[in-house]
Amino acid sequence: MTKGYVTRVMAMAFDAQTEVSDEALLVAYGNGDREAAAMLTARLAPRVLGFAARMLGGDRAEAEDVTQEAMLRLWKVAPDWRQGEAKVSTWLYRVSANLCTDRLRKRRSVDIDAIPEPEDGRPEVAEAMMQGARAQALEDALAQLPDRQRAAVTLRHLEGRTNPEIAEVLEISVEAVESLTARGKRALAAILAGRREELGYGED
Amino acid sequence: MAKTEHTPLRDDALEEMFRAARAEAPEPSDSLMARIMADAEAEIAARAEAAHPVRTPRPGLWAALVAAIGGWPALASMATAAVAGVWLGFGATEGVDALAGGILIGDTGTATVSYEFEDLLPGYEGFAALETETD
Repeated sequence: MTKGYVTRVMAMAFDAQTEVSDEALLVAYGNGDREAAAMLTARLAPRVLGFAARMLGGDRAEAEDVTQEAMLRLWKVAPDWRQGEAKVSTWLYRVSANLCTDRLRKRRSVDIDAIPEPEDGRPEVAEAMMQGARAQALEDALAQLPDRQRAAVTLRHLEGRTNPEIAEVLEISVEAVESLTARGKRALAAILAGRREELGYGED
Repeated sequence: MAKTEHTPLRDDALEEMFRAARAEAPEPSDSLMARIMADAEAEIAARAEAAHPVRTPRPGLWAALVAAIGGWPALASMATAAVAGVWLGFGATEGVDALAGGILIGDTGTATVSYEFEDLLPGYEGFAALETETD
Protein backbone atom coordinates (compact mmCIF):
# COMPACT_ATOMS: atom_id res chain seq x y z
CA MET A 1 0.00 0.00 0.00
CA THR A 2 2.54 2.52 -1.05
CA LYS A 3 0.09 4.42 -3.21
CA GLY A 4 -1.38 7.54 -1.71
CA TYR A 5 -4.88 7.73 -0.37
CA VAL A 6 -6.19 10.13 -2.99
CA THR A 7 -4.79 8.05 -5.81
CA ARG A 8 -6.44 4.92 -4.42
CA VAL A 9 -9.80 6.62 -3.91
CA MET A 10 -9.65 8.07 -7.36
CA ALA A 11 -8.73 4.70 -8.83
CA MET A 12 -11.88 3.29 -7.24
CA ALA A 13 -13.94 6.14 -8.60
CA PHE A 14 -12.37 5.51 -11.98
CA ASP A 15 -13.45 1.86 -11.96
CA ALA A 16 -17.03 2.82 -11.27
CA GLN A 17 -17.52 5.25 -14.12
CA THR A 18 -15.51 4.12 -17.12
CA GLU A 19 -18.59 4.16 -19.33
CA VAL A 20 -19.50 7.80 -18.66
CA SER A 21 -17.99 10.10 -21.30
CA ASP A 22 -15.57 12.89 -20.41
CA GLU A 23 -18.00 15.33 -21.96
CA ALA A 24 -20.94 14.17 -19.81
CA LEU A 25 -18.76 14.54 -16.73
CA LEU A 26 -17.62 17.99 -17.79
CA VAL A 27 -21.20 19.16 -18.31
CA ALA A 28 -22.12 17.73 -14.90
CA TYR A 29 -19.22 19.60 -13.35
CA GLY A 30 -20.32 22.75 -15.15
CA ASN A 31 -23.60 22.36 -13.28
CA GLY A 32 -21.77 22.17 -9.97
CA ASP A 33 -21.17 18.43 -9.62
CA ARG A 34 -18.02 17.94 -7.52
CA GLU A 35 -17.91 14.20 -7.98
CA ALA A 36 -17.74 14.68 -11.74
CA ALA A 37 -14.68 16.89 -11.20
CA ALA A 38 -13.03 14.14 -9.14
CA MET A 39 -13.70 11.59 -11.86
CA LEU A 40 -12.38 13.87 -14.59
CA THR A 41 -9.27 14.55 -12.54
CA ALA A 42 -8.69 10.82 -12.02
CA ARG A 43 -9.09 10.21 -15.71
CA LEU A 44 -7.33 13.15 -17.30
CA ALA A 45 -4.66 14.42 -14.90
CA PRO A 46 -2.39 11.36 -15.31
CA ARG A 47 -2.55 11.73 -19.10
CA VAL A 48 -1.77 15.42 -19.04
CA LEU A 49 1.05 14.85 -16.57
CA GLY A 50 2.56 12.09 -18.70
CA PHE A 51 2.41 14.22 -21.80
CA ALA A 52 3.73 17.35 -20.09
CA ALA A 53 6.57 15.46 -18.41
CA ARG A 54 7.76 14.20 -21.81
CA MET A 55 7.34 17.58 -23.42
CA LEU A 56 9.33 19.25 -20.66
CA GLY A 57 12.17 16.72 -20.74
CA GLY A 58 11.22 14.97 -17.51
CA ASP A 59 10.94 18.07 -15.30
CA ARG A 60 8.42 16.70 -12.83
CA ALA A 61 7.64 19.89 -10.90
CA GLU A 62 7.06 21.90 -14.05
CA ALA A 63 4.94 19.14 -15.55
CA GLU A 64 2.75 19.19 -12.43
CA ASP A 65 2.34 22.95 -12.75
CA VAL A 66 1.29 22.57 -16.38
CA THR A 67 -1.16 19.83 -15.42
CA GLN A 68 -2.75 21.97 -12.73
CA GLU A 69 -2.96 24.96 -15.07
CA ALA A 70 -4.46 22.92 -17.90
CA MET A 71 -7.05 21.41 -15.57
CA LEU A 72 -7.88 24.85 -14.19
CA ARG A 73 -8.59 26.03 -17.73
CA LEU A 74 -10.86 23.02 -18.17
CA TRP A 75 -12.76 23.95 -14.98
CA LYS A 76 -13.17 27.48 -16.24
CA VAL A 77 -14.44 26.50 -19.66
CA ALA A 78 -16.87 23.86 -18.30
CA PRO A 79 -20.04 26.03 -18.07
CA ASP A 80 -19.56 27.24 -21.65
CA TRP A 81 -18.48 23.89 -23.07
CA ARG A 82 -20.02 23.45 -26.51
CA GLN A 83 -21.00 19.82 -26.76
CA GLY A 84 -19.85 17.80 -29.72
CA GLU A 85 -17.36 20.39 -30.89
CA ALA A 86 -14.15 18.81 -29.63
CA LYS A 87 -13.20 15.85 -27.49
CA VAL A 88 -12.37 16.90 -23.95
CA SER A 89 -9.08 15.00 -24.02
CA THR A 90 -8.11 16.58 -27.35
CA TRP A 91 -8.88 20.04 -26.02
CA LEU A 92 -6.85 19.33 -22.91
CA TYR A 93 -3.84 18.01 -24.84
CA ARG A 94 -3.93 21.13 -26.99
CA VAL A 95 -3.97 23.42 -23.97
CA SER A 96 -1.16 21.38 -22.40
CA ALA A 97 0.90 21.42 -25.58
CA ASN A 98 0.60 25.21 -25.75
CA LEU A 99 1.50 25.63 -22.08
CA CYS A 100 4.56 23.40 -22.56
CA THR A 101 5.62 25.28 -25.68
CA ASP A 102 5.39 28.58 -23.79
CA ARG A 103 7.51 27.23 -20.98
CA LEU A 104 10.08 25.74 -23.33
CA ARG A 105 10.36 29.04 -25.16
CA LYS A 106 10.84 30.95 -21.92
CA ARG A 107 13.31 28.38 -20.69
CA ARG A 108 15.40 28.75 -23.83
CA SER A 109 15.49 32.50 -23.66
CA VAL A 110 16.38 32.49 -19.95
CA ASP A 111 18.58 29.48 -19.36
CA ILE A 112 19.75 27.29 -22.17
CA ASP A 113 21.31 24.75 -19.79
CA ALA A 114 18.02 23.91 -18.08
CA ILE A 115 17.21 21.23 -20.64
CA PRO A 116 18.44 17.99 -19.14
CA GLU A 117 21.32 16.50 -21.05
CA PRO A 118 20.90 12.90 -22.09
CA GLU A 119 22.51 10.80 -19.43
CA ASP A 120 25.03 8.67 -21.20
CA GLY A 121 27.06 5.70 -20.16
CA ARG A 122 25.83 5.43 -16.61
CA PRO A 123 27.51 2.32 -15.17
CA GLU A 124 24.42 1.29 -13.19
CA VAL A 125 22.21 1.15 -16.28
CA ALA A 126 23.22 -2.41 -17.13
CA GLU A 127 22.12 -3.58 -13.69
CA ALA A 128 18.96 -1.51 -13.55
CA MET A 129 15.68 -2.97 -14.56
CA MET A 130 15.72 -3.04 -18.34
CA GLN A 131 12.28 -1.50 -18.61
CA GLY A 132 13.25 1.46 -16.45
CA ALA A 133 16.47 1.91 -18.40
CA ARG A 134 14.67 1.82 -21.71
CA ALA A 135 11.99 4.20 -20.55
CA GLN A 136 14.62 6.62 -19.29
CA ALA A 137 16.67 6.32 -22.47
CA LEU A 138 13.62 7.00 -24.59
CA GLU A 139 12.76 10.02 -22.51
CA ASP A 140 16.30 11.35 -22.89
CA ALA A 141 16.12 10.82 -26.63
CA LEU A 142 12.71 12.46 -26.86
CA ALA A 143 14.10 15.53 -25.10
CA GLN A 144 16.51 16.00 -28.01
CA LEU A 145 13.76 16.20 -30.63
CA PRO A 146 12.29 19.47 -31.86
CA ASP A 147 9.15 20.41 -29.88
CA ARG A 148 6.63 19.54 -32.58
CA GLN A 149 8.21 16.18 -33.34
CA ARG A 150 8.35 15.41 -29.63
CA ALA A 151 4.69 16.33 -29.20
CA ALA A 152 3.59 14.24 -32.17
CA VAL A 153 5.66 11.17 -31.22
CA THR A 154 4.59 11.38 -27.57
CA LEU A 155 0.91 11.67 -28.43
CA ARG A 156 1.08 8.89 -31.02
CA HIS A 157 3.29 6.34 -29.36
CA LEU A 158 3.08 7.06 -25.65
CA GLU A 159 -0.40 8.50 -25.24
CA GLY A 160 -1.89 6.29 -27.96
CA ARG A 161 -3.83 9.03 -29.73
CA THR A 162 -4.96 8.75 -33.36
CA ASN A 163 -3.44 10.86 -36.13
CA PRO A 164 -6.64 12.90 -36.71
CA GLU A 165 -6.77 13.64 -33.00
CA ILE A 166 -3.13 14.71 -32.93
CA ALA A 167 -3.79 16.90 -35.95
CA GLU A 168 -6.49 18.65 -33.93
CA VAL A 169 -4.25 18.99 -30.89
CA LEU A 170 -1.37 20.52 -32.84
CA GLU A 171 -3.66 22.36 -35.26
CA ILE A 172 -2.00 20.92 -38.34
CA SER A 173 -3.06 18.53 -41.10
CA VAL A 174 -3.08 14.75 -40.71
CA GLU A 175 -0.36 14.57 -43.36
CA ALA A 176 1.80 16.91 -41.30
CA VAL A 177 1.29 14.68 -38.27
CA GLU A 178 2.36 11.63 -40.25
CA SER A 179 5.46 13.43 -41.43
CA LEU A 180 6.30 14.67 -37.92
CA THR A 181 5.95 11.23 -36.33
CA ALA A 182 7.93 9.57 -39.11
CA ARG A 183 10.78 12.05 -38.79
CA GLY A 184 10.60 11.87 -35.01
CA LYS A 185 10.86 8.10 -35.01
CA ARG A 186 13.79 8.18 -37.41
CA ALA A 187 15.55 10.67 -35.18
CA LEU A 188 14.89 8.58 -32.08
CA ALA A 189 16.18 5.45 -33.77
CA ALA A 190 19.36 7.30 -34.71
CA ILE A 191 19.84 8.79 -31.24
CA LEU A 192 19.22 5.48 -29.49
CA ALA A 193 21.49 3.55 -31.87
CA GLY A 194 24.50 4.60 -29.85
CA ARG A 195 23.02 3.15 -26.67
CA ARG A 196 21.88 -0.11 -28.20
CA GLU A 197 24.15 -2.28 -26.05
CA GLU A 198 23.09 -0.92 -22.69
CA LEU A 199 19.48 -1.19 -23.77
CA GLY A 200 19.77 -4.87 -24.57
CA TYR A 201 19.82 -4.56 -28.34
CA GLY A 202 23.52 -5.30 -28.73
CA GLU A 203 23.06 -8.22 -31.10
CA ASP A 204 21.31 -6.13 -33.72
CA MET B 1 26.02 -8.64 -40.73
CA ALA B 2 28.38 -5.72 -40.82
CA LYS B 3 26.62 -3.51 -38.31
CA THR B 4 28.05 -0.29 -37.09
CA GLU B 5 27.20 1.83 -34.09
CA HIS B 6 25.33 4.18 -36.37
CA THR B 7 22.76 1.75 -37.71
CA PRO B 8 19.48 3.09 -36.43
CA LEU B 9 17.50 1.11 -33.94
CA ARG B 10 15.09 -1.28 -35.60
CA ASP B 11 11.38 -0.53 -35.55
CA ASP B 12 10.51 -3.43 -33.27
CA ALA B 13 13.19 -2.36 -30.82
CA LEU B 14 11.89 1.19 -30.87
CA GLU B 15 8.38 -0.13 -30.34
CA GLU B 16 9.64 -2.00 -27.31
CA MET B 17 11.14 1.21 -25.99
CA PHE B 18 7.81 2.97 -26.41
CA ARG B 19 6.15 0.17 -24.48
CA ALA B 20 8.66 0.51 -21.69
CA ALA B 21 8.10 4.26 -21.54
CA ARG B 22 4.33 3.80 -21.46
CA ALA B 23 4.69 1.43 -18.53
CA GLU B 24 6.87 3.95 -16.69
CA ALA B 25 4.50 6.88 -17.14
CA PRO B 26 4.63 9.31 -14.23
CA GLU B 27 1.81 9.05 -11.73
CA PRO B 28 0.32 12.25 -10.35
CA SER B 29 1.08 12.85 -6.69
CA ASP B 30 -1.67 13.18 -4.11
CA SER B 31 -0.77 16.82 -3.63
CA LEU B 32 -1.23 17.51 -7.34
CA MET B 33 -4.63 15.78 -7.32
CA ALA B 34 -5.62 17.77 -4.24
CA ARG B 35 -4.53 21.06 -5.84
CA ILE B 36 -6.53 20.30 -8.98
CA MET B 37 -9.64 19.46 -6.93
CA ALA B 38 -9.19 22.61 -4.84
CA ASP B 39 -9.22 24.60 -8.09
CA ALA B 40 -12.37 22.79 -9.19
CA GLU B 41 -14.10 23.61 -5.89
CA ALA B 42 -13.00 27.24 -6.07
CA GLU B 43 -14.43 27.52 -9.58
CA ILE B 44 -17.79 26.17 -8.43
CA ALA B 45 -17.84 28.69 -5.59
CA ALA B 46 -16.84 31.57 -7.88
CA ARG B 47 -19.54 30.66 -10.38
CA ALA B 48 -22.21 30.41 -7.68
CA GLU B 49 -21.25 33.87 -6.45
CA ALA B 50 -21.20 35.42 -9.91
CA ALA B 51 -24.54 33.94 -10.94
CA HIS B 52 -26.61 34.36 -7.82
CA PRO B 53 -29.74 36.51 -7.74
CA VAL B 54 -30.23 37.28 -11.38
CA ARG B 55 -33.35 35.12 -11.56
CA THR B 56 -35.57 36.35 -14.36
CA PRO B 57 -39.11 35.04 -13.74
CA ARG B 58 -40.57 32.86 -16.40
CA PRO B 59 -43.35 34.61 -18.35
CA GLY B 60 -46.73 33.37 -17.08
CA LEU B 61 -49.86 32.52 -19.03
CA TRP B 62 -51.19 36.08 -18.81
CA ALA B 63 -47.96 37.56 -20.12
CA ALA B 64 -47.92 35.04 -22.95
CA LEU B 65 -51.51 35.98 -23.87
CA VAL B 66 -50.72 39.68 -23.92
CA ALA B 67 -47.70 39.02 -26.08
CA ALA B 68 -49.79 36.91 -28.47
CA ILE B 69 -52.39 39.66 -28.88
CA GLY B 70 -49.77 42.21 -29.68
CA GLY B 71 -48.75 43.75 -26.42
CA TRP B 72 -50.32 46.42 -24.22
CA PRO B 73 -51.45 48.82 -27.01
CA ALA B 74 -53.61 46.06 -28.49
CA LEU B 75 -55.00 45.33 -25.07
CA ALA B 76 -55.97 49.03 -24.65
CA SER B 77 -57.85 48.97 -27.96
CA MET B 78 -59.67 45.87 -26.86
CA ALA B 79 -60.66 47.55 -23.58
CA THR B 80 -62.01 50.57 -25.49
CA ALA B 81 -64.04 48.31 -27.76
CA ALA B 82 -65.46 46.49 -24.78
CA VAL B 83 -66.51 49.72 -23.07
CA ALA B 84 -68.11 50.96 -26.32
CA GLY B 85 -70.02 47.70 -26.52
CA VAL B 86 -71.37 48.13 -23.03
CA TRP B 87 -72.42 51.70 -23.85
CA LEU B 88 -74.19 50.57 -27.03
CA GLY B 89 -76.01 47.91 -25.10
CA PHE B 90 -77.35 50.15 -22.38
CA GLY B 91 -77.69 53.38 -24.28
CA ALA B 92 -80.91 54.54 -25.92
CA THR B 93 -81.70 53.04 -29.30
CA GLU B 94 -81.85 56.52 -30.71
CA GLY B 95 -78.22 56.75 -29.80
CA VAL B 96 -77.52 54.01 -32.32
CA ASP B 97 -78.98 56.17 -35.05
CA ALA B 98 -76.91 59.12 -33.94
CA LEU B 99 -73.87 56.91 -34.00
CA ALA B 100 -74.72 55.65 -37.44
CA GLY B 101 -75.00 59.24 -38.72
CA GLY B 102 -78.76 59.10 -39.50
CA ILE B 103 -78.67 56.41 -42.17
CA LEU B 104 -80.80 54.06 -40.09
CA ILE B 105 -83.76 56.43 -40.02
CA GLY B 106 -85.07 57.58 -43.33
CA ASP B 107 -84.95 61.24 -44.14
CA THR B 108 -88.76 61.64 -43.87
CA GLY B 109 -88.80 64.59 -41.56
CA THR B 110 -90.97 62.81 -39.05
CA ALA B 111 -88.68 62.74 -36.11
CA THR B 112 -91.06 60.51 -34.20
CA VAL B 113 -90.31 57.54 -36.40
CA SER B 114 -88.07 55.32 -34.48
CA TYR B 115 -86.72 51.85 -34.60
CA GLU B 116 -86.81 49.42 -31.82
CA PHE B 117 -83.46 47.93 -30.96
CA GLU B 118 -84.77 44.53 -32.10
CA ASP B 119 -85.16 45.89 -35.61
CA LEU B 120 -81.47 46.31 -35.83
CA LEU B 121 -80.76 42.72 -34.82
CA PRO B 122 -82.07 40.53 -37.59
CA GLY B 123 -81.89 37.23 -35.75
CA TYR B 124 -83.54 38.27 -32.57
CA GLU B 125 -87.13 37.28 -33.39
CA GLY B 126 -85.97 33.90 -34.48
CA PHE B 127 -84.54 33.27 -31.07
CA ALA B 128 -87.70 34.56 -29.43
CA ALA B 129 -89.81 32.19 -31.54
CA LEU B 130 -87.62 29.32 -30.56
CA GLU B 131 -88.10 30.20 -26.94
CA THR B 132 -91.91 30.24 -27.17
CA GLU B 133 -91.94 26.98 -29.07
CA THR B 134 -90.15 25.07 -26.42
CA ASP B 135 -92.37 26.50 -23.74
